[in-house]
Amino acid sequence: MYGWIWRHLPGNTWVKALISLVLVLAVVFVLFQYVFPWAEPLLPFNDVTVDQGMAAVR
Amino acid sequence: MTATGHDEDIERSAPPNRPRRMRRSVAAVFSVLGELLITAGLILGLFVAYSLWWTNVLADRAADKQGDEVRRHWAAPSPKGPGKLDTKDGIGFLHVPAMKNGEVLVKKGTGSEILNEGVAGYYTKPLASALPQDKKGNFTLAAHRDGHGAKFHNIDKLREGDPIVFETKDTWYVYKVYAVLDQTSKYNVDVLDRVPKESGKHQAGRYITLTTCTPVYTSNFRYIVWGELDRTEKVDADRTPPKELR
Repeated sequence: MYGWIWRHLPGNTWVKALISLVLVLAVVFVLFQYVFPWAEPLLPFNDVTVDQGMAAVR
Repeated sequence: MTATGHDEDIERSAPPNRPRRMRRSVAAVFSVLGELLITAGLILGLFVAYSLWWTNVLADRAADKQGDEVRRHWAAPSPKGPGKLDTKDGIGFLHVPAMKNGEVLVKKGTGSEILNEGVAGYYTKPLASALPQDKKGNFTLAAHRDGHGAKFHNIDKLREGDPIVFETKDTWYVYKVYAVLDQTSKYNVDVLDRVPKESGKHQAGRYITLTTCTPVYTSNFRYIVWGELDRTEKVDADRTPPKELR
């Protein structure tokens, strides 16, 4: 998979490395900015209040 | 077992490069699978970094900004005279020396959109909190144990007798911890009662209740700390903190 991506990147090794780095950073950005904030409330790690089990209804 | 025999038959009758190509495509499938698993592992690692570090960065930034705003409001002379309590920006700051985390802005509500900004929230449901200035009642607060500012991370450092100080525009409310419940069900809303019986009290008074999740990094249970008002102090011109905070 990654080998396939690497082979299809243009340019020489340095250009490929640079593009890869940019791609990795873009993925990390999307994860931190959109995916994780969306996923976090769905996971049961960070509920701090006492309630009557209505949290899911919120 | 007969299936193997069939396979052998097929392989034998196939062109000689067929098995090698098949082996290669199987290897390719496994290598993609392996890369996907590695990727999943890295994403989970990033999620941990996000939860325990990045949300703190964001929340502290948001809380600092809002805290500054509240302080600015307090400093500005109110043009309309004593208006009604402005609960939008926050009603004051919680200082808990034992938690060693400075001041925590307190806002109305305990929804995640509020608590995620690195503040403590006072309950509006299931049971509405009293406010510190009320004659009797229970001032009930929640904040994150980890991530999003982790304002109550060190709640387990609180011992009986430790001060919890709440600062409003014109008053310091000095509470003393008198009871700790280090693990209770997340459905135990009785801890928020006006007179929290589980803390051993039976008469109305001016109480404060801190709630957060426990054990750290999970939310299986809730950790509760109760305090009772010891005294109040007027805020002077220099906002000199009470002796507990000096």
